[in-house]
Amino acid sequence: MMRITVTVNGQVYERDVPGHRTLLHFLRQDLGLTGSKEGCGAGECGACTVLLDGHSVNACLVLAPEVDGRCVETVEGQAKDGKLSTIQDAFNRNHAVQCGFCTSGMVMSVQDLLVRTPKPSDDDIKEAIEGNFCRCTGYLQIIEAVRDASGRTEGKGGLKHA
Amino acid sequence: MLHEFEFRAPRTRAELLGVLADHGGLAKLMAGGTDVIVNLRAGGIKPRVVVDVKQVEGYGALTWSDTDGLVIRPATTINDLLRMPGLRERFPLLVACAHDLASYQIRNRATVIGNIVNASPCADMAPALLCLDARAVIASQAGEHEVPMREFITGVKRTVLLPGEVLDRVVVPASSVGARGGYAKLKRISGHDLGLVAVAVHKHGGELRVAVGSAAPTPVLVSGLKETDDAATVVAAAQAAISPISDLRCTKEYREHMVGVYIRRLLREVA
Ligand SMILES: Cc1cc2nc3c(=O)[nH]c(=O)nc-3n(C[C@H](O)[C@H](O)[C@H](O)COP(=O)(O)OP(=O)(O)OC[C@H]3O[C@@H](n4cnc5c(N)ncnc54)[C@H](O)[C@@H]3O)c2cc1C
Ligand code: FES
Ligand code: FES
Repeated sequence: MMRITVTVNGQVYERDVPGHRTLLHFLRQDLGLTGSKEGCGAGECGACTVLLDGHSVNACLVLAPEVDGRCVETVEGQAKDGKLSTIQDAFNRNHAVQCGFCTSGMVMSVQDLLVRTPKPSDDDIKEAIEGNFCRCTGYLQIIEAVRDASGRTEGKGGLKHA
Repeated sequence: MLHEFEFRAPRTRAELLGVLADHGGLAKLMAGGTDVIVNLRAGGIKPRVVVDVKQVEGYGALTWSDTDGLVIRPATTINDLLRMPGLRERFPLLVACAHDLASYQIRNRATVIGNIVNASPCADMAPALLCLDARAVIASQAGEHEVPMREFITGVKRTVLLPGEVLDRVVVPASSVGARGGYAKLKRISGHDLGLVAVAVHKHGGELRVAVGSAAPTPVLVSGLKETDDAATVVAAAQAAISPISDLRCTKEYREHMVGVYIRRLLREVA
């Protein structure tokens, strides 16, 4: 066991973790933050994407002891005071969610993108979500939601592919 | 669930080499973990201790100088490399290969050195580092020694590294600046995927080199060709150097054919 101190969505947690605990299992099982999903557990699907010190990573491929002293952001940190974040709201308005399994990871990849590149091109959007699989939407609505969140379809209200 | 192991994150190189010396073959080095954690999960490796190299003092530095060239250290991720100012102008082939490796979030964790030590035949950083005459600097408690990149990978997932040794840095010499190059990777899907076959073409000072991934037990370098050689000569030289296999992803014949297609395409594109 190792004692780690980690800030998750602005809140500081101190926990004992075994060396072989993944960050994803730590979030889901130790902290009860089940927004991040486990699809493949092996870096392929992106359902577990969280931000580690601001950079998107696959939480299934990070060990919990590695995040000692660092900052993690998960989808639970998006909505504030019962109000959806800009990205969540754009996903909602553009019908970018069907079953929702990919959504928390998608949203975190998009969060990383929009901080780096507030006005992304379609190629930037595709690169940012290339590691996030969606088996439902066919991606078009997701790309439109990101355009919407970055102000590129202002006024249109999405729904082009809905 | 991963099987149980102890996690260590040494802060100095001396401490790192000490941990390795103490545990021998029972310690597993980890950088970004994108190969190691997948292998741990699959039960392919069962180390007693996993040793994170990223906290070692100095291992996060990525530096360029006209005298020492580009020095890549163990914590340098693929995206760190891609974000380095001026890299595309100096080493376009390195950028092309890095950009084709995995997905954006994997590139935030995957390291250049982890990619080389993992020694997969499809390792995307290998073609660039081979063409650019990179050198591997290996450290252990006995000291440091240097190995040219072309001798570093010895077989499928095998390198010259011995227990107790760490790949301390990879150096891309300043003499390789000015080389032109391009990379083409055949995948099953247009998004992120491992290569079915990959080709790098490199032109520098009249010399032409071709590196081929996923077409032999190790990435293959064909050097000593001339920029003036015609495409048929270059393709013949590359096809003589590779030994592709058929597997569940595609046939040997398809790999061979696509190596030719990509060489011809890149010879036109890399002016
Ligand atoms: C979904 C997915 C997609 C991928 N796609 C690609 C792809 O398209 N192309 C590609 O080339 N690879 C791909 N990979 C493989 C992997 O991401 C890369 O090989 C990566 O560069 C490995 O780096 P790492 O830092 O994660 O290495 P780790 O997993 O930490 O380590 C890899 C190996 O290197 C050893 N090691 C690490 N650092 C050192 C050191 N300093 N000294 C000695 N030994 C060391 C480890 O012990 C281990 O054997 C993919 C992986 C995943 C999970
Ligand atoms: S669960 Fe982490 S990438 Fe699929
Ligand atoms: S909405 Fe179902 S996987 Fe994306």
